[in-house]
Amino acid sequence: MSKPNSARKRWLISQAELETWLDGLAQAQTLIAPRDISGVVLYHPVAKSDEIAAGFTRPVLSVKEVFFPPTERLLSIEKTGAEIHLNETLPEGQTTVFGVRPCDARGARLLDAVFLDTAPADPYYARRRENTTLIGLACKEMGPTCFCTSVGGAPDDPTGVDVMLYPAEGGYLAEAISDKGHALLADAGWPESVVGGAAFSGGEHFPVPEKGKWPEHFNNDYWMKMSERCLSCRACTYVCPTCRCFAVRDEVLGPGEFERIRCWDACTGENYRRVAGGHKPRAEKGERLRNRFFCKFYYYPEQYGLGSASACTGCGRCIEVCPAGVDITEVLMNLEKPA
Amino acid sequence: MNENPMLPYLGKLVEVRDLAAEIKLFRVEMLNGGGEAFRNSQPGQFAFVSAFGLGEAPFGIANACGRGPAVDFAVARLGSVTTGLHELGEGDVVGVRGPMGNWFPMDKFKGKNLIVLGGGIGGAPLRPVIQHVLDHRSDYGRLTILWAARRPDLLVFTEEYDEWRAAADTDLHLTVDVPDEKWDHNVGLITQLLEKAAPATENAVTITCGPPVMIYHTTRMLEKMGFPPIWNYVTLEARMHCGLGKCGRCNLGEKLVCVDGPVFNMVEVGDLLETYL
Repeated sequence: MSKPNSARKRWLISQAELETWLDGLAQAQTLIAPRDISGVVLYHPVAKSDEIAAGFTRPVLSVKEVFFPPTERLLSIEKTGAEIHLNETLPEGQTTVFGVRPCDARGARLLDAVFLDTAPADPYYARRRENTTLIGLACKEMGPTCFCTSVGGAPDDPTGVDVMLYPAEGGYLAEAISDKGHALLADAGWPESVVGGAAFSGGEHFPVPEKGKWPEHFNNDYWMKMSERCLSCRACTYVCPTCRCFAVRDEVLGPGEFERIRCWDACTGENYRRVAGGHKPRAEKGERLRNRFFCKFYYYPEQYGLGSASACTGCGRCIEVCPAGVDITEVLMNLEKPA
Repeated sequence: MNENPMLPYLGKLVEVRDLAAEIKLFRVEMLNGGGEAFRNSQPGQFAFVSAFGLGEAPFGIANACGRGPAVDFAVARLGSVTTGLHELGEGDVVGVRGPMGNWFPMDKFKGKNLIVLGGGIGGAPLRPVIQHVLDHRSDYGRLTILWAARRPDLLVFTEEYDEWRAAADTDLHLTVDVPDEKWDHNVGLITQLLEKAAPATENAVTITCGPPVMIYHTTRMLEKMGFPPIWNYVTLEARMHCGLGKCGRCNLGEKLVCVDGPVFNMVEVGDLLETYL
């Protein structure tokens, strides 16, 4: 992981300077940035800065796919007679992601807890993370489903990125957050700034049940009731910056040629826990939805040493995509209500 | 494990034999560094076995490392990976990732009476426990084995019963749900066999493995009979996909079966077992 930069120098840059800088980065390596793809803003490779979307709240999908792709090859397998040859296929190449929202930078740090900080580290994730530079972009305002301020985040929280950009008069204030970010900005030749950015104020804030309180909510009838509308479509887990369940399987490429892949999976899916022979724990929707909420606020923090923090970034994407109106903020507020 | 924990060792099948109806025993000679990794595997640990081109699945290691160096796995033909494994024969190459997970604390069990309860293929991860006790017989007290299956042709390791019965201070009790005409042992569930055999609770440790519903009812019965939860051990299975605490598929509450288990005592998982059914 990038080391934090203690000096935290700042530079004032214009929109034009930013674009020139990003164009340079895009020539040297893969540049991923919010891009409008048929009306949907996604973190996507761009060849030039003019392809970057303007005026977005946050991309529809989180930045997790940069480090943890929806489908990823782990091994290539060749079989000749009884001989087997295995090849690790570790990812190559340097990538910079521009426009990372604070909720997504937080999501990356939460995935780090699973894939890097809890032994054994995942070599595929580690390689991608190491080869990626994150340029954060502070939010001017919170979107309609955003609630980062209720789960310990903030629209201008620079934690976890290498460079943070704050919208400022006439352009951006660029701050070096990590050593990697400092090296990147110091090379650009911009005038240093002595002024700091104005801290974000406001943002709705509602109480979220503390980690220690979750076990007492386990046998609450509420889960079965609220899940009646759930369609088990798994969209919430797909857009979530910290849902990281995966499946591993082999695909046949040709005679004697296979690949082992892993792909995203979802604990809210109906057959997620089904085993050969037919046994299916968590058969009820309510049990599965409860598991997802418990994972975010109790299991994941316990399993990966998050302390009192939760594994929810407050990005609000799950609220936005749910076709049945399951709203995580409503769930959290209902749990906090006296019985 | 390999430095890349998703990269399997290769292993050659040196023996493949029928263990019960649709259940085969695979004896694997580890190649390219895997021998060293499995040399000191512990009773209760598991590994992923690959049928290349079809995928991999987790299986309890079915022999004590002292009975190695080859590593045994019992595989019931149920899904695509296990069907692929059943089609392999001696000389074929499989992948093996492991050993993984925690194990039965055999040192802590020294001097205690062991009651081993196996249901169907759930007997496979208990075989290393039995072998370890037989190979270190004076370290342990009485060994009571309660072995169950739905039908006589689903009982595993039948050809080893004579060895178990012949060992000092060792009893074997058998039961099936549905007998055939040749069956002359008990008929009924393992919980009924347990009541009938009525092993003493003093200085005892119980070890249970089988289908989830069997584990659930057996451990409740044991507690009712006065066996203290802290000495009631189980080994659980879940269809995990990594075995490394990452894929999220095997959680039992806040516990991950792959890294916090698969071996638990009932103080650890007693309250969570209902979610396992």
